[in-house]
Amino acid sequence: MAFLSVRDLKVHFPTVDGVVKATDGLSFELEKGRTLGIVGESGSGKSVSSSAILGLHRKTSAKVSGEILLDGTDLLTLSDEQMRRRRGKDVAMIFQDPLSAMHPYYSVGNQIAEAYRVHHDVSKRAAKARAVEMLDRVGIPQPDRRVDDYPHQFSGGMRQRAMIAMGLINNPSLLIADEPTTALDVTVQAQILDLLQDLQKEFESAVIIITHDLGVIAEMADEVLVMYAGRAVEYGSGNEILTHPEMPYTWGLLSSVPDVSGDTDARLIPIPGNPPSLLNPPSGCAFHPRCPHRDKVPGDLCFTTLPELAPGTRTETHLKRCHLTDPDAVYEREVLPEIAPDLVEESHS
Amino acid sequence: MYAYVVRRLFVGVIMLIAMSLVTFVLFFASPIDPARYACGKNCSPELREQTRNALGYDKPVIVQWTDFLKGIVQGRDYPDDPELRAAAPELVTHCPAPCFGYSVVNTKTVNEEIKEAFPVSLSISVAAVVLWLFFGVLLGVMAAIRRGTIVDRGIVAAALVLYAFPSFFIGLFLLKFIAIKWELVDVPVYTTIAEGGIGGWLSSLLLPAVTLAMLYMAGYVRMTRAFVLESMTEDYVRTARAKGLRQNKVLVKHTMRAALTPLVTLIGLDFAGLMGGAIITETVFNYNGLGKLAYDANTTNDLPTIIGLVLLLGTFVILANIIVDMLYAVIDPRVRVG
Amino acid sequence: MFKYRKRVLAASAAIALAAGLAACGGDDGGESSDNPTGDAAATGEAGGTLNYLIYAPIEHVDPQRIYVGRDITNFSRTVYRQLVTFPISTDPEVSNTPVPDLATDTGTSEQGGKVWSFTVKDGVKWEDGQPITCEDFKYGASRVFATDVITGGPNYLLSYLDIPTDEKTGLPAYNGPYKGDGQELFDKAITCDGNTITYNFKKPWPDFPLAVAGLHMMDPYRQDKDQGDKSNFQIFSNGPYKLEGTWSKNKGATLVRNENYDPATDDPDNIRRALPESIVFNIGQTTETIYDQLIADSGDAQTAVTGQRVPPAYYNQIEGAVADRSSLQASPYVDYLVPNFRNMTDPKVREALKVATNAEAWINAGGGEKAYAPAESIVNPAVVGYQDNPAFSGPQEGDPEAAKALLEEAGVQTPFPITFTYPSSETADKQAAALKETWDAAGFDVTLDGLGDTYYDVIQKPNKESDVIWGGWGADWPSAITVTPPLFDSRINLTQNSDGQDYGAYKSDEFNSLVDQAQEAGTLEDQTAALQEADIVLGQDVAYIPLEIAQFYFLYGSKVTGFTTTPASSMYPDLGAIGVES
Repeated sequence: MAFLSVRDLKVHFPTVDGVVKATDGLSFELEKGRTLGIVGESGSGKSVSSSAILGLHRKTSAKVSGEILLDGTDLLTLSDEQMRRRRGKDVAMIFQDPLSAMHPYYSVGNQIAEAYRVHHDVSKRAAKARAVEMLDRVGIPQPDRRVDDYPHQFSGGMRQRAMIAMGLINNPSLLIADEPTTALDVTVQAQILDLLQDLQKEFESAVIIITHDLGVIAEMADEVLVMYAGRAVEYGSGNEILTHPEMPYTWGLLSSVPDVSGDTDARLIPIPGNPPSLLNPPSGCAFHPRCPHRDKVPGDLCFTTLPELAPGTRTETHLKRCHLTDPDAVYEREVLPEIAPDLVEESHS
Repeated sequence: MYAYVVRRLFVGVIMLIAMSLVTFVLFFASPIDPARYACGKNCSPELREQTRNALGYDKPVIVQWTDFLKGIVQGRDYPDDPELRAAAPELVTHCPAPCFGYSVVNTKTVNEEIKEAFPVSLSISVAAVVLWLFFGVLLGVMAAIRRGTIVDRGIVAAALVLYAFPSFFIGLFLLKFIAIKWELVDVPVYTTIAEGGIGGWLSSLLLPAVTLAMLYMAGYVRMTRAFVLESMTEDYVRTARAKGLRQNKVLVKHTMRAALTPLVTLIGLDFAGLMGGAIITETVFNYNGLGKLAYDANTTNDLPTIIGLVLLLGTFVILANIIVDMLYAVIDPRVRVG
Repeated sequence: MFKYRKRVLAASAAIALAAGLAACGGDDGGESSDNPTGDAAATGEAGGTLNYLIYAPIEHVDPQRIYVGRDITNFSRTVYRQLVTFPISTDPEVSNTPVPDLATDTGTSEQGGKVWSFTVKDGVKWEDGQPITCEDFKYGASRVFATDVITGGPNYLLSYLDIPTDEKTGLPAYNGPYKGDGQELFDKAITCDGNTITYNFKKPWPDFPLAVAGLHMMDPYRQDKDQGDKSNFQIFSNGPYKLEGTWSKNKGATLVRNENYDPATDDPDNIRRALPESIVFNIGQTTETIYDQLIADSGDAQTAVTGQRVPPAYYNQIEGAVADRSSLQASPYVDYLVPNFRNMTDPKVREALKVATNAEAWINAGGGEKAYAPAESIVNPAVVGYQDNPAFSGPQEGDPEAAKALLEEAGVQTPFPITFTYPSSETADKQAAALKETWDAAGFDVTLDGLGDTYYDVIQKPNKESDVIWGGWGADWPSAITVTPPLFDSRINLTQNSDGQDYGAYKSDEFNSLVDQAQEAGTLEDQTAALQEADIVLGQDVAYIPLEIAQFYFLYGSKVTGFTTTPASSMYPDLGAIGVES
């Protein structure tokens, strides 16, 4: 069995207007030392799903079902207290926007040391020393001095490093990084991603990176899970999905990334329309209202029937949720020339 | 920081001087003639002039005001009429600097009046603040963490009902039932620590403080609840939970710390306001604090007392603002200078 | 709820003394008449502590400045003895007749009431044991002239005492003992011969003993105790009680026995039974709190009396056993309306207003018979020589039809717009609305103009905005000379800047000459006759329209003995008679 195995995870929020199905039947697996990238627009259920793995949803507001097996233990069957003991220790999370994710009234060192002391019975002094060590490890200069600084005194990149230090201080076996670079400028992004990779190697952690940025996926992910409207719509190895995507939504994501191949001529094509309502998701394939290729599917299948997440035309491990019978051909014929003309030329020459 | 406080204090003093002038001008612009009031029944115009003289209201307003300011710096002798002081030294009251005036109505210097009333208001206010803060925050937090449950709804509804009651109603109710009808406590009479010890002092404050506390508590419950709820959705609270912190620690160290900061401003200003503003409560319970003094001064057209209290309460508000700002710097590192 | 009225009564309207209720008793409760007042044998035992509950601070405790009826008698009975005083009795004939107190008799007059002499008793002492001398009386009277220090007190002496007027100030050339200008003039006007003090007046003052007994302005004062303005809250006693500690303006004080008081120099049965061992003046509790305690009869309230009237909201709680502790008597105060003679020049229009006035509706809106009794003159029935004014006899329910006819006769255009100005309060607003009803029905178009604290300042300024104005008054001593002349004599009231107390700017030579006649009168009888005639003139001119006599509805504690309200005490609880069970 895989180190992390999520099966049919559902996170539903009952509201007065009805049930919001933020995550609706998500399954994936992840081994130690590997990185899973979860991609999707905001509202697609990425963050909700990862919060469920940490057990952050309050029972009063969310209904979480399915299985989350971490090293053979179903996290969803644990008591609150059991889950709390694992949180931050076995499973840690790095949040986006570290300015708001760190408490403005406490020093960086205090907050990092706190994460350590929760799970280790050590003195404040020892915890602080450990925090300095971690700050040093994530590349904060003069960590023994900066440890007493407050978050607002750090630059954006430093704050994210500090967040990473906080996340890794307990050597978690699973690290979830939620949009770890979104709030940062490009050069710092690269540094942070490098750092994450280094640390992953060092700690042998399993990592889930949540992002809407396929550039990050390209750099980091061993496997990729594309989410749309609370469901996985494409799942496979990183290389496979980036080079041979089989789901029009993934194509859309690729089109909207400026920098997949480093080609500056590529046109940026945003996905038309808005993300669907999770309260009243569209019938059939949730993506059909925005899908430019639905006419290629005979009948009104896209409108009426939710496609299975099933192997496409290429490999058994590359799953997609789409009615198109020849997605590869469509991709090469219609999509690729738009987003990466040079690639097309290469293949033709 | 030091320069900042000095600057604020300086601006505060200017404001107080302006306030004193405005009060003088408004007092004399009012159609109410204080001399007519003091002169009593069957008062002829000639007598009224004499009375005005005795009150010191016969000089031009601007002269009265500058005399007042001089008195603050140098002290003053009363009565104002130098001839009378020379002829009858036994009548003279010396009011040492900083002299805020002499109330003919109460035959006391305003300084003495304030000295007597201040401890009463301070006692009630402190007791009330402690009560409402403790229960207001406690109930507010309880409502927030049990949001949507019967506990929450009960607390919010009770707060709303309390909020709707006028303070004289709460005061009269407590007095009438708790003290008089059921005789659970004595009808409160303000007792100083010197007179009744700490116990006597505290028990004398119970009903008035509870009255004020109930009044303010309603607002604090609702605000605390709102602030805590807002704070609970903050990213840093999620971070704290993600660390595996115990629920209580998340609540106390992370959620409340941020949620209660805005309360500091409110407490500071409410406390300052209460020092002179608990008029109804002080009247209902017959506590001779600054609020009742202000009320009586207003009904008897006692200008010196009115001016003294305006300045005193203005000072409270200005100081409270400065203190709140300084507290913010202590509480919120982002505000700290440098 | 009755705060405003209280203030009116205390500060402006009425004050001092008045007498009985022969004509209009209005005593429904009847409890107090059961009390064997006037009968010394039946009074309660001595001892215990009596509590006197008061809401608003007493503004003056200085004898020359006291001007509130309740306080005048409270202090007469306890600490400030007078030359002559009014005895304890519910019979106005008795209670309105001065009896000797510090003086050996009730005074002798010469020159048709222009010169009065009294002899101070031997053996009367101040609380420090020193004898009370004629000079002390003289010094007390001199303080009345220090109008720049001793403010707010009764000032009749200024116009009566034979001292020339200073042209510049329009006030007497003597300005009191502090500055001392014109001291020789004063020394001539009041003289001491041994223990005999003689007062020389400019004009006859036949009712002078009434004034002496009715106010404290003629009280003795010890010069070495005088600190002028600072003496406002000091009590230097010569009565059966003295102050323990100091008088606190907003808390009150405790009176205890004065060892230097010798009852042998007094007439304890008729003036000061001085039963309680101590008397506590408890100031500051709200009227509601006072009545909550009295009704519950809890703690100190069992031995308490109050000068606060029962608030109408509490009427229904006073029943059964509680009602046995209540007292309902007419007060010495009258509320009235005046038409503004600047606007309502046509006598027929004023007559129409009078005819349309529904005083009963006003009374009912204000709490009914427990709050007010009907009035048939601006003079209170408690005043010596009272008679109903024929212009206002009979029930005053308002007759819009008759009023309409009068307006038609007058030939004025209807609806005739009038503005009614009155001191606003929750109750007064209701009462005003009740009046408006019949006025409107009669063809007036009434605008209600309720004013706040500025009331007296507004109505005393000559104005044409108000057509009908509310007023309240009580006699300073039981003579109409302290009622109609101060209210309607245009010569003392109307100046360029002020209408004084003559809010309606009434001006009548006929009335003024009757006032002169009363003031020149050498005997009380002649004076009374002239004043009775003067009131009839006022009625014919509709110079005023009486509304009601405020009722004094009081409750007292179950351990209070000998509770009584007398004309001598302005119908407030008479501390001369009241004791407590221990």
